[in-house]
Amino acid sequence: MKRFLAIVVCKFLRVVGKLVGKGSSLPGKFALRICPDVLSRVKLPEYIIAVTGSNGKTSTVEMIAHVLTQNGKKVAWNKEGSNQIEGVTTMVLCNATLSGRVKSDILLIESDERFAKYTFRYISPTHYVMTNLYRDQLTRNGHPEWVYNALSESINDKMQLILNSDDPLISHFGFGRDNVIYFGADKLATDFTENKSVYNDGAYCPHCKKPLTYSTRHYNHIGHYECASCGYKRHGTQYTVTSVDLEKGEMTIDGKYNISLALRSLYNIYNILAAFTVGSVAGISAEKIASDLSDYVMKNGRVVSFNVGKRMGTLLVAKHENSISYDLSMSVACADKRGCDVLIIVDAVSRKYFTSDVSWLWDIDFEMLGCDNVHEIVLAGTYCNDLAVRFSYTDIPQQRIKVFSSIEDAYHYLDSDRDEYIYTITCFSDKGKFLSLV
Amino acid sequence: MKILHLYYDIMNLYGDYANVSALVRTFEKNGIGCSTDKLSFADDAVLSDYDIIYIGSGTERNRNAVLEDMRRYKDDLKACIDSGKVILMTGNSFEMLGKSITDAKGNTYEGLGIFDFTVTEQNKTRNTADAVFSAGFTDKELVGFINKCSEIDGIDTPLFTVKMGLGNKNGGDSEGIRRNNFFGTHLTGPVLIKNPHFLLYIAGLAAGEDRKLSGDHLVYETAGYDITIKELLSLRKD
Repeated sequence: MKRFLAIVVCKFLRVVGKLVGKGSSLPGKFALRICPDVLSRVKLPEYIIAVTGSNGKTSTVEMIAHVLTQNGKKVAWNKEGSNQIEGVTTMVLCNATLSGRVKSDILLIESDERFAKYTFRYISPTHYVMTNLYRDQLTRNGHPEWVYNALSESINDKMQLILNSDDPLISHFGFGRDNVIYFGADKLATDFTENKSVYNDGAYCPHCKKPLTYSTRHYNHIGHYECASCGYKRHGTQYTVTSVDLEKGEMTIDGKYNISLALRSLYNIYNILAAFTVGSVAGISAEKIASDLSDYVMKNGRVVSFNVGKRMGTLLVAKHENSISYDLSMSVACADKRGCDVLIIVDAVSRKYFTSDVSWLWDIDFEMLGCDNVHEIVLAGTYCNDLAVRFSYTDIPQQRIKVFSSIEDAYHYLDSDRDEYIYTITCFSDKGKFLSLV
Repeated sequence: MKILHLYYDIMNLYGDYANVSALVRTFEKNGIGCSTDKLSFADDAVLSDYDIIYIGSGTERNRNAVLEDMRRYKDDLKACIDSGKVILMTGNSFEMLGKSITDAKGNTYEGLGIFDFTVTEQNKTRNTADAVFSAGFTDKELVGFINKCSEIDGIDTPLFTVKMGLGNKNGGDSEGIRRNNFFGTHLTGPVLIKNPHFLLYIAGLAAGEDRKLSGDHLVYETAGYDITIKELLSLRKD
């Protein structure tokens, strides 16, 4: 009876919520209040795929859903990216019949890293994809090893783990465990060997804390690593990116499946690879997955085109408090041979909570914007001074940098006769403030 | 001016390295020659050779690995603190200098024993907070961020008074530790960037009393500080 009531209330609140434009976690919150263990009282599909990790969760889940539905599977998934237990509850109950049966072949869950242990107490994924562990929202998450510890409580022996072999920390969940599927990238044309970042989370072995060495790095601590002390090393992969040509916008998986890239960045290739892996595990043919993922344009609003007067531009969402997400967005601007100006906005650090912490700015490789393709750099928002200080510690000539505390002033400054394409790089918390002007 | 950035590669969790960059620039802008040694496990540091020693924050496991390695410096470090050398430790690094650290599983690690405090960690809640502290050595308050999982007992010479944020003990109003020119605080990351007055104070101690340092180059830093303290104080009133 409680279950029935929870489902009815959840569905009702979701309908009302959609009408008034409210988020998707509230209905689940009320349902959990009525029936705290409702998730273990519904009849779930045979396959439950979960995706977690610092970066790429939402995009990976969207692409997995795309591949599965294109191939005739009925998928229930959290489209809005509400990934704590309340949001997952909303999604599951809204996809359930009143008698408590989830009406799909596959349940696909994006889960927040720290809260996965609560959600998976009730729903145990059959397949558990873990993408990476980066410095992400450390004002909430503490640090990657803290998140690792929280995530380890979300895993049980029955789950089929699907791990990114190139990330030494996330890959460590497979240590001493059979039956793990690994995905990763071979040495790529864009690789390097020395750490180029201002910090090095791959400096020491996650297993024994002795020095870790890399034969090749794709970016930051993502690459091919080995510990000479304890022998911990990158695991061989079942699903592999064998080559990437970002300039042509093409990647190849397992030496033969070509996928053309709508978004030319290295993080996108990992999201695609993870989706390819899950599609393959679900029994879909590799050729079909590759064609479904080719030129796939994400619908989650993380890349938006705009005009400023006569000038054209693209907004790339990078997450504040997440340096790798900034690095990868900036690398898109740096690769643009037409020449571009870059606008960076840090106005509210988070949309969910207040913090004035900007220490994460010091982890971002802003130095890369000194490349030839980037011309002017505009810094805006409440924390423009902190940005300006950070840039003063790069080798970028100060005359190329403009600082505005008001986003509107920055917008008017950009509304000029300059020919350069504009890249705006900012977070969800600040993107609307810019897009409302253009 | 010789600066030692110790365990630069493993105790650099929240952009801590920027504290060293800030010191170097301040000395250079004031016409004081400056060199920095970045050393770690594989190196033998002669602590007494330096004018300033800095260690930043790390994960609990990384801090424990560093604690084991630091035992070789125990006596030298104590001598440096007693002699008034300028030493700054931010985040959880100063926890190593107490009597013991007990982790969330109940394992106790012997500390360097330079101070009498004890550290107790837990793994349930990450204790994080924006912080506003006051100090006896400056009229201006300090701003920053706390990110830890420990409480510390037994500090009777704290560095700061808590106006907002977290102290050594939950609910306590004193934070960090000071002895002579040793400064230990749980403020994380680029503390000296966020607090230009603290930067000038620390740099001034190292440069010597006869040397009045100019902060004219700290224009954006000062503007950034003014905005942050305003934001935090308005939060306190809410």
